[in-house]
Amino acid sequence: METGTAKAVTKPGAEDLSDPAYLRIRDVIYQASGIYHPDEKLYLLAARCARRMSALKASTPAQYLEQLAFRGNREAELRLLLNEITIGETYMFRSPAQLAALRNVVLPQILEAKSARGFKRLHLWSAGCSTGEEPYTLAMFLLEESVKLLAGWSFDILATDLNDNSLTVAKAGIYGEYALRNTTEQLRRKYFKPHDDKRLQVNDQLKSLIRFDRVNLSNDSKMTCLKGMDLIFCCNVLIYFDLSSKRKVIQHFHSNLLPGGYLFLGHAESLYRVDDRFRLVHFPGGIGYWKPPAGYAGGGQP
Amino acid sequence: MITLEKIRPKIEALDAMPTVPAIIQPLTSMLRLPPEEVSLDKVVMIVSYDSTLTAQCLRMANSPLFGRLNTETVRSAVIALGLKRVEAILLGCCLNRIVPPDKWVLDRMTFWRHSLGCALVSSRLAKLIRYPDPEKAYLAGLLHDVGILVNTLACTDEFRKCVQAARDGHLELDRSEAEHLGFTHCQSGRILAKRWNFSADVTEVVEYHHKVAAAQTAVPLVALVHLSDLLCRLRDLGYGYYEAISVDLARDQAWTLLVEHCPALAKVDLARLTMDIDGAMDEIVTTVDAVFKPQA
Repeated sequence: METGTAKAVTKPGAEDLSDPAYLRIRDVIYQASGIYHPDEKLYLLAARCARRMSALKASTPAQYLEQLAFRGNREAELRLLLNEITIGETYMFRSPAQLAALRNVVLPQILEAKSARGFKRLHLWSAGCSTGEEPYTLAMFLLEESVKLLAGWSFDILATDLNDNSLTVAKAGIYGEYALRNTTEQLRRKYFKPHDDKRLQVNDQLKSLIRFDRVNLSNDSKMTCLKGMDLIFCCNVLIYFDLSSKRKVIQHFHSNLLPGGYLFLGHAESLYRVDDRFRLVHFPGGIGYWKPPAGYAGGGQP
Repeated sequence: MITLEKIRPKIEALDAMPTVPAIIQPLTSMLRLPPEEVSLDKVVMIVSYDSTLTAQCLRMANSPLFGRLNTETVRSAVIALGLKRVEAILLGCCLNRIVPPDKWVLDRMTFWRHSLGCALVSSRLAKLIRYPDPEKAYLAGLLHDVGILVNTLACTDEFRKCVQAARDGHLELDRSEAEHLGFTHCQSGRILAKRWNFSADVTEVVEYHHKVAAAQTAVPLVALVHLSDLLCRLRDLGYGYYEAISVDLARDQAWTLLVEHCPALAKVDLARLTMDIDGAMDEIVTTVDAVFKPQA
């Protein structure tokens, strides 16, 4: 397996992963969206493709690849496949490693730099917040840290999405067991109130930290107004953009961030060939894109 | 304060300890012969003398990384693994035995997860960047932290405090060592590497994997293991506690040095490379756990 061949990956019920078409499909997805499946995760990709293949009555991955790469419906099919790939990724506290990195690495850096210049307020932006799980997670995280790490600091969260229906759900803040699967009993008691016998609703304290707004990331005039961010979270949104729109959005994110700020994408997502002004930085359990302050020359550790 | 000079005699006595198995000499000298002079029968015989070594060779050959061969004989395991991999397993077994079971400071499984993890990532990275000797990279990755075993044995209590301080402060181990011991596992490891006749390049890895710029002749190997060590620590195969580190790999000195040796690297997509390695982590953990459990 060390040489990285796909055929040794065996998961129960899996498709024939030795079919080289899967490697081509992986590359098509990576180049179009930045989402990458390492060899060991090809079985996931194959399972997602299988659903699209049966919808299209394609009997082999090669036939499906043809649909995905060469036919006129390429854009539409890619979008449908990406929907399959990212399905079920939205729930609260989805990435504990990212929160641990925020707590132990990222925020200490930012707090030190900001307080040296006399600032005591943090600005976070969940860009493409969908139905609100991410901004509410961030709000709970910040409130929990406000007794220690963030003592004496204030913070606000901007949560935007293009989709009005998603924003309506997000603003209502009513969630069932799936969204709350990673939320501890203690946090549920502290930040939620009962809504009906199956669902909980976020309390007013959480809501008060978040400003919801409809923003199209491709709208230049709107994007130009959103300055002074410390952290931007943009999970599984840019994957749907073509390269030139993606470049534009990333350019905006870069100027929306303060020097020293970070952009976080989805866990399998990367800025493949999009922008070299961000630095790809590794943390325990994850990566982030860092906007270095002027004069950064490198040296391994930001 | 404890100093390196004070513990040096303790370190140098390690190879006289009875726990070092008698097979280390014949097997390593056999494996250093030109390949056409090595007798497979003799290697198989020597390996078979030692039950732990036999078990680890079989488990490694049967691990997912070797495609679950279901090998039952020492001979087929040795063939599947290759002689260099057998030598690495032998050295790992010997090192494992120099620490008595009740003396471990970093938990034994944690240490071997990190060491074997680093070996596997090193050889994988070596292949990805076309470093000419991936088995050397494997061995160097496996042995890079022998200094941790030296510190465990030679100054157990002081080292325990130093690890606790690192754990409490989310610090890198070598920083905590420099502060609390006055020396690091790189320096103490070098003494053992010399006593046990590690090759010159592996000795450099032991000494300089936290100070890549100081490496002299084995620069690419030291840089490669440094990066693998970092990747492991960034992906839950570290020292068993949270290190608050952030790394700009492309600007890490080790990466820059590797690019100098292999200009094609400058074009490598680092996000994809690290996602490839992330993808392999689960299998690496499975392999490490299979090879080192139960108590060897």
